[in-house]
Amino acid sequence: MRVAIIAGSISGGIRIAKEIENLSGVDLFVVVCNVEKRSPLLRWSREILSALKTFRWQTLATKAFSYARQSRLIILHRPLDDASSIERLRALQCDVGLHAANVIYRESTISVFRLGILNAHIGILPKYRGRCVAEWSVLQGDPTGVTVFFIDSGIDTGARIVLREFFPSEGWRSVPALKNMLFRCDARLYRKALEALMRPGVRFESNDASKGQRYYVMSSLFTKAVNKILAASLMTSG
Amino acid sequence: MDLETALSRPVPLDRCEGLLREALLRRRAELQKSWKHFISAEYLASLGSLAPEVGSFLSGQDPIRDWRFVANFTWMNCEATFLDSLRAIALGGKVEYQPSNTSPSRLLTADLNKLSSSERLQALCDRYRCPLNIGLPSESDVAEELLRQLMVPDRAKLEAGEEIDADFVLLKLNLVGIRAMITRELRLVDALNYFYELPKRSLTRLQTSPRLLALWLCIYAQLLCAPDW
Repeated sequence: MRVAIIAGSISGGIRIAKEIENLSGVDLFVVVCNVEKRSPLLRWSREILSALKTFRWQTLATKAFSYARQSRLIILHRPLDDASSIERLRALQCDVGLHAANVIYRESTISVFRLGILNAHIGILPKYRGRCVAEWSVLQGDPTGVTVFFIDSGIDTGARIVLREFFPSEGWRSVPALKNMLFRCDARLYRKALEALMRPGVRFESNDASKGQRYYVMSSLFTKAVNKILAASLMTSG
Repeated sequence: MDLETALSRPVPLDRCEGLLREALLRRRAELQKSWKHFISAEYLASLGSLAPEVGSFLSGQDPIRDWRFVANFTWMNCEATFLDSLRAIALGGKVEYQPSNTSPSRLLTADLNKLSSSERLQALCDRYRCPLNIGLPSESDVAEELLRQLMVPDRAKLEAGEEIDADFVLLKLNLVGIRAMITRELRLVDALNYFYELPKRSLTRLQTSPRLLALWLCIYAQLLCAPDW
């Protein structure tokens, strides 16, 4: 299976690649997009900063160099939905894309991948679509977790769910800490999803949009209330 | 982890509701003191006879009317104009309405979005002449679209300092607020929370429509005091 990680930075792409590269039967590429059309100076400054933040920048540099040498590290200079970027993606002949960049995908980009692009959404689908779904789940007393599904051009409306995993919000003292934990599950869950996709007779759960709602950015009033709920749960759980 | 384990919460749901209600009441107390920051004296004066009513409503602690029992599953007709009915609802007054035997055909959001901004404003004022109708289950698609517009393009424009149609944004905030009073949906009240929290420079741009701004604040005040979130 040919897989491309669509990342917003080299360090972000390599982080996921490290989890997946040893998966038998997977041929892996890291595609780095120019998110928000940054200037080369800003883009590479951010790359360096992001690499330094990992505290393992030497390992990261070695990995990145190794991928680049094998032509498995592709740096896009144009936006992802630009014709030249789509052509470069198409040339990779990938089966699956893994979303790891802060970009919105158009149909023309999604269709380049034979099976589609997977997204590790930090909410339980189909109930929680959109933004701030982890905090909305806590506020409404629902379980938190991550859903890996094939995206379409809508907001978390892609019809095929590959897997869903619940992670309790208890033990996390604040919304950023909870969300960081959920975001950090992406690499492991992408690995599990790819394993599932490579099994014969894989079946998808339906993401029925009518069974859920779209959520939006949460106000600071409600975010503070969620922080209090998390703090209370921390005290209760000891 | 399975769903059952994930659902075993150390914080009971009523405790979550208590924390939520506490936050809303704190916001109400804040609004009671700071509402004049949203409408300058000059704009308030332009409201004429509405100004003292709004002032007393926002500064005081008027009993809150529960609109859930007024809006049932039947379309309602109002003799009064849209603005008069909106005023009555916002100030917790009496709305004169008649249940209708027929309801208008479904409003398709795609059709609504094809209209110009002023046409959309008019279409919504006509359809919701009795504004309580926005709370009916049949209006969920329209309400969902109004919420989306507020929380995606309108919010982005306000935050970026771009040009906005203050009348239309405030009309949507009023309608979404009324639906929240009827459905008690947290996403809807949070849209109002979010707009209330926008930087002052963004909100002062809405002052060009002082009547709708004042009525929106009164609806928001009612929502903050609602006892059962």
